Amino acid sequence: MHRRRLLALLAGSGAAGFAGCNRPRTAGTPTDGKAGGPTTSTPPGSSDGGVYVQSFVERMGRLGTATAGPYRVALLYTVPHRFWTVTNDQRSLVPKGSGDGYRLHLMATVWDPETGVAIPETGLSLELEHDGRLVSEEVIYPMLSQRMGVHYGGNFTLPADGGYRARIDVGAPSIRRTGAFRGRFEEPATAEIPFRFTGRDRREIGTRETPQAGEPGAVAPMDAAFPLGRAPETEAMPGTHLGTARSGDAAFAVVRLADPPAGVAGDGPYLAVSARTPYNRLLVPAMSLTASVGAFEGALVRTLDPDLGYHYGATIPALAEAEWLRLSVAMPPQIGRHEGYERAFLTMPPMELSI
Amino acid sequence: MDLDESLPRRRFMKAAVAVGGASALSACLGRAPRAGEPVPEGVSDPSELPQRQHAWNDRVRVDGDGNVHLPRHQAFLYLTLDGDGPPGDEARETVETALGTLDRAYERSNEGLIYSLAYSPSYFDRFGDPLPDSVDLPEPRRLSGFENPEFDTQDALLHLASDRGDVVLEVEEAMFGDRSEANGIAVDATLGDVLIVDDRRTGFIGAGMPAERQAQGGEPISGIPDSLPVPDRSPLFMGFEAGFSGNQATEDYVTIREGPFADGTTKHVANLRQRLGDWYDEQSFEERVMEMFSPGHAEQGLVEGVGDNLGADSGIDAFLDPETIEQSIEEHGRVGHAQKAARANRDADGNVRILRRHVESTDDDLASLHFPSLQRRLSTFEDVREAMNGDDLTDNPAIRQRVNNGILEYIFVQHRGNFLVPPRRHRALPTPRPA
Repeated sequence: MHRRRLLALLAGSGAAGFAGCNRPRTAGTPTDGKAGGPTTSTPPGSSDGGVYVQSFVERMGRLGTATAGPYRVALLYTVPHRFWTVTNDQRSLVPKGSGDGYRLHLMATVWDPETGVAIPETGLSLELEHDGRLVSEEVIYPMLSQRMGVHYGGNFTLPADGGYRARIDVGAPSIRRTGAFRGRFEEPATAEIPFRFTGRDRREIGTRETPQAGEPGAVAPMDAAFPLGRAPETEAMPGTHLGTARSGDAAFAVVRLADPPAGVAGDGPYLAVSARTPYNRLLVPAMSLTASVGAFEGALVRTLDPDLGYHYGATIPALAEAEWLRLSVAMPPQIGRHEGYERAFLTMPPMELSI
Repeated sequence: MDLDESLPRRRFMKAAVAVGGASALSACLGRAPRAGEPVPEGVSDPSELPQRQHAWNDRVRVDGDGNVHLPRHQAFLYLTLDGDGPPGDEARETVETALGTLDRAYERSNEGLIYSLAYSPSYFDRFGDPLPDSVDLPEPRRLSGFENPEFDTQDALLHLASDRGDVVLEVEEAMFGDRSEANGIAVDATLGDVLIVDDRRTGFIGAGMPAERQAQGGEPISGIPDSLPVPDRSPLFMGFEAGFSGNQATEDYVTIREGPFADGTTKHVANLRQRLGDWYDEQSFEERVMEMFSPGHAEQGLVEGVGDNLGADSGIDAFLDPETIEQSIEEHGRVGHAQKAARANRDADGNVRILRRHVESTDDDLASLHFPSLQRRLSTFEDVREAMNGDDLTDNPAIRQRVNNGILEYIFVQHRGNFLVPPRRHRALPTPRPA
């Protein structure tokens, strides 16, 4: 079993919204911070490279929070970022860009206020008006960052000081919803967040370098007043924990439920796989995952469930007596990447787990 | 009014139509006096004109490939009746007289005037009786899981089209302004006597017009990136031709067959903003071809330039079967706009079901699109739009609700409205069950 990067996680420090970097230790002792598992078939950090500490920690500011239909939406800003979009196994760099005015990275997060569950897969667009004139309207991509987890982000230019109105259209997610999420999130909704922006707001944000930049590890997620899209602790998931597999530096916590969550057809054992980053348990959504168990071979369905969280699942009768589970990633996570994640979760070899 | 007299003629006319009003008209006529370029006159007996208000194709320009070229300048006037309840016979007669004046004043062609007057479900709600079953005309509704449009529930939609910007303006002034003549014909009754213009939108279509209009005063209009990338010869801001005759329903096909509104049709009109920064700046030509047509079109190099090499058909029918689409997604992580929509836009015999007549717009200095679609039953449009949403393809996570999913990332629906285009005999404030 290869565990070359079992790293301790230190809590973030510093002012709110400016949490410190995790300081990776090189000690080889297992820790509770990293989602370890009984079986690992592939070494973390494949040829593509794994998760590494981003080279800076950014300070963020809040522009506002609003309710839109069943969703709660927060809008934040920070310095412009370069990030990578992913289509199939290809990533392409989106530069910081430029523009006359304040160039910013705007980030929206969307969650269910009833359960605090972040909503990771929806079409989301942001319209910005300044003094009643349209400044921008874009579909902004879901992406994964070490400070924010799953969010929707893009680089924008605010042309001048003054009053702005952001309208955030949240699409009805097309992924399966189960349990208490059945019948919810079926309509799109629009959140309106008015805000003022001046040079003072721009000076609120900034970055500092991280000494561990490039080393295996991750900076701590921000100390946020909203849910960050973390996968549940394995122990907190319902059902029987069968183990945790690894591929492409992502951890796949595998649980078996005696019955599928409400809203899934069929009887018998249900397999739920919860994919998360190797540090900090941030959700890794939007991949094609297939399972092979005994005579069963098929796709696991991307599903949002209030108890299991976002997971990949299917009812598999053969699960009761099978000894081995094979998982393979047919399509790596189709989610944008901020620095530190762009090399990971791309080349994802098949996994095998004794269950 | 802000009209730059130094603009080249076609841009000037387009700008004048966008601005509208009596002063825009007089600026047009001042620059190009009618005497020098007469507008062909209409018919002395309007009853000679065909019943189908939507019969435009044999009255406009058609290119060597058989593709219909819509009139360059268009206006969409959303009209409301004063007060509640059904309109009376007097109002009906006023509307008929006003429309008769237009028929006599202008040849029904791209060189004169082509128009239609259509009515919304809200209009028919004024009456006690419902529309007959032979008319399928639901209220407008949201047609995707991510849009939040305003619904156009005004009573009526007057759609004007001409290659002559001055004609569009003159009709508006004669029908809703103070102009007492239309192309030399005295105006005795006006639509404005009965109907109020609630909203005025303008459009244009033609090779080169979007490129000319992508910047104003050297600045890109909203939705167009600084690189001013719209190709010179493109009829659309997105850089490709559309509406190939082989991919359009015939007028015959979209015509209502039975009942009192036989020879009419239904019309959906969407208004969509276009945000083309990433379309042009983040994507290669091949990627744009994949997303507009299909990945197969890019693989096989079927589209050159703006696509005029495609002739009379985009060839999309070769890329519609589920296996081809699945394979394209696996290889390229994308699905084409035309490819998705066409899946629902063919009947069992392979006939195209909807007739699209969309035009570009720079209203409010935003790049946008007015998208009228004609179909026998309005719900056919809804089916096609559902297929275009591609929700069924998002099982593969490369295809997201609005990313890699045709052109959904770049278009933002602002308005939707549904209308019945009655046959000519019932074009003036019809009841739901006209005799």
